[in-house]
Amino acid sequence: MPAQRDSVFHSNPNKDFVRSEYDYAHVERWYQLRGQRLNYLGLPAPEMLDIIAWEKFLSRFTTIEREENQQHLMFLQANVRDVEHRLYSLYGQFDEILIKGRDSLGRRPEWPYDVVNLDFFGGFIYQDLSRPKAVKKMISNQVDFRRSFLLIITYHLRDCDVIGAKASFLDDLRQSLKNSTREAATRKEIDRAMDWYSDSATPDSQRQTLLVNSFLRDTGEAEHFDVLCRPAVLYSGTGNASMIHFVTDFTFRPGTAHKTSSKQSLFELVDLGTREVKDAKLIKSTAKPPRLSGN
Amino acid sequence: MTPVDSPKELVYSPAIIILSRDLYPRKLEVVREYIQNASDAIDAFSQIAHLIDDTSEPVIKVSIQGRSLLIFDNGIGMGGDDVEKLRYIAYSEKKAGEEAGYKGIGRLAGFAVADKLKISSTRYGDPELHHFEIRAKEMHDEINQNRKKGVVETATEVINRHTDIWSTPANDPKDHYTIVEIRGIHESCSELLDGTRLKEYIGEIAPVDFSPEFKWGTRVSQWLRQDVPDYSPKNVYLSMPNGERIKVYKPYVDSMSISEPHSIAVRDQANPNNILALCWYATKGQDMLEELRPTGKIFTVDGDGDKKRFAGLVYKLFGFSIGDRHLPVKTLWNRSFPRALWFTGEIHIIDKDVQPITDRSDFIESDARDRLYKAAATISSTLNQQAQVISYDRNAFKEGEIFTAKLRHLKDRLRDKSIEKSELKSIRAELNRGRADLQTRLDNCSDPAIDKFGKNVQKFAAQVQKELDEAKIIKGGDGDIADVARERKMPTHARRVFEIIMNALQEYYGNDTDTYHEVAGEISKALRKKY
Repeated sequence: MPAQRDSVFHSNPNKDFVRSEYDYAHVERWYQLRGQRLNYLGLPAPEMLDIIAWEKFLSRFTTIEREENQQHLMFLQANVRDVEHRLYSLYGQFDEILIKGRDSLGRRPEWPYDVVNLDFFGGFIYQDLSRPKAVKKMISNQVDFRRSFLLIITYHLRDCDVIGAKASFLDDLRQSLKNSTREAATRKEIDRAMDWYSDSATPDSQRQTLLVNSFLRDTGEAEHFDVLCRPAVLYSGTGNASMIHFVTDFTFRPGTAHKTSSKQSLFELVDLGTREVKDAKLIKSTAKPPRLSGN
Repeated sequence: MTPVDSPKELVYSPAIIILSRDLYPRKLEVVREYIQNASDAIDAFSQIAHLIDDTSEPVIKVSIQGRSLLIFDNGIGMGGDDVEKLRYIAYSEKKAGEEAGYKGIGRLAGFAVADKLKISSTRYGDPELHHFEIRAKEMHDEINQNRKKGVVETATEVINRHTDIWSTPANDPKDHYTIVEIRGIHESCSELLDGTRLKEYIGEIAPVDFSPEFKWGTRVSQWLRQDVPDYSPKNVYLSMPNGERIKVYKPYVDSMSISEPHSIAVRDQANPNNILALCWYATKGQDMLEELRPTGKIFTVDGDGDKKRFAGLVYKLFGFSIGDRHLPVKTLWNRSFPRALWFTGEIHIIDKDVQPITDRSDFIESDARDRLYKAAATISSTLNQQAQVISYDRNAFKEGEIFTAKLRHLKDRLRDKSIEKSELKSIRAELNRGRADLQTRLDNCSDPAIDKFGKNVQKFAAQVQKELDEAKIIKGGDGDIADVARERKMPTHARRVFEIIMNALQEYYGNDTDTYHEVAGEISKALRKKY
């Protein structure tokens, strides 16, 4: 008999808020920007709550599901919600499908997409970095079609298991930031900020925010996208899981020779920090990184 | 375990293969089985929908995802007990004659074409969603391997081992639906994953409505609603691979050029008040006299595939096709078979004692079937007569058209004064023959419009004839005899002999000048050729 999670068509008020208000506003903005319904790629659970919430802004939805019974329930939900004709459901592991370019039945994603919503079961940054690699591949597929898009990533905060990688990343970032200025005062501020990020007392969510946003920016810029990152949104998900949520704009900038420089500066990115969802409201986090962008 | 060890078990595992794989030689028939269950579920729910104030549109939705074919309906749904019974073979609580499916075999259909069959269902008010899964490929492989080893297990043991049944909380207790997923459809059965094929097939076999693009659809629907008590077309939607969702209709559309349809009530010969079936039929139409009129040709359609695929009638029971369009020909026509193919249409069986065989390719031999066939002989005799009438009418029209063209040509020549004296006799003869032939056709014609058209052609012919009689035909064609002699440089002696002969001929024919000119014309022609 299949696992119990088959049956759980679930959500919680915080997640509902993120999906139905915070993300909704961004998807609506992209819909208005494109002037037409958006092509969606995502990892919705069988409930397809994001698709249902944003349905009026979407045209086709490509979903990726790795578990057979879950996919069956997704088919059921699509029929109940009367959107089955717009569903294109790939079967297999997200990272494998993105990297190989086809699912376990040999079907390809319908590139390009306007909204990519990756709600990961578990973490994002594992030792084998298969998920970041898959995201990188996804971004590179988008650039083949010169298509700007909105990327939404959600994952379990506690599942990040590459502490060493984070430390070396912070060292590299410190160096990059310092290379961008010759002012001693600024360099001092950089040290202060990066020391704060490196401090074990600083919540890990802050480091992951910086790590993921930097990764998205670097990857996007290398593929000719102007990347606009936002403060990560922290919330308590189903079963009190600590969730971290990123909403990022990737705007294709044609004609750039090597890589694009985003309008958002690296200093601004370091300052982003996080927001939190409490009682279905978005509030500022108590933990705040020292500001750099005023310099 | 052997049969001897288990004397109480009466059915053994190979029966599962026989009842699934061997029953459906045409793989698309698998779809019909599930649509049939969905259709019954919708009919069942319609009995209670008003009690619970449910106004949702009853739908059957067919979609393709990868190598899965999905059939969804928002009918009555199944409770836990019903889902448990999906394991039972040939078990059905449906009543024969009241619902389209009643044998409890159809749900096995998917076993034959796919790796797995997954069904989820809930009933209105049921707080749970019930799931059923059968791992068909795994089960088939095991049965086949065991057969090779000489091991025969009971069907129950095997089914239990390869099926799972479980329940989960329903999303909304007011929901009522069933979804069937035929998962992992084999490469050899890929037609089940072809949207275009499915659309054609479902339109042809399922109880769906007439297309809005068929102008006679409303009229035929009215006949069927009036006389066929269970006539209830279903809303079947099909998701196409490009994301488009289409409503499936019967295949008849105006672009097929279908002439005005007619109906025949098939009455029980012993009790004429008892209608056993209702047949509607139409023929291929052709634009005649600004209307689409029957052509009297085999019913063909344009496009890909067999052009004659809609030629002939098809039996319908609970709206589902029984057999193909050859079955009525085989069962109702004992002569003039090709004429059966002049028509397209359906025979909706009202007498539910007539039951189909399991694969729905024919009917079970029974008194009811014999009674139907006997009574339905009226269909073949009516259609044969109709075909004869169509043939007469079409021939009258054709004759009239051809004759009109000839008359117009003649009128043009009269106007141009290009008729020669030597032609007059044959022209008059042809005109008379044309009028007589057309009249013969018109005597057999029963279409008032064609008859009127024919009479107008006759009037036109009379008018042309009059013009011909009154016309001053100057041009000889036979040529002036002196001219011919001079032109050919005849010696004086020969010329005189020639003139004597021609004068003698003229005297001989006397008043029959048309014949004289005809003969003189021939002589002139011969002379010109010779000299």
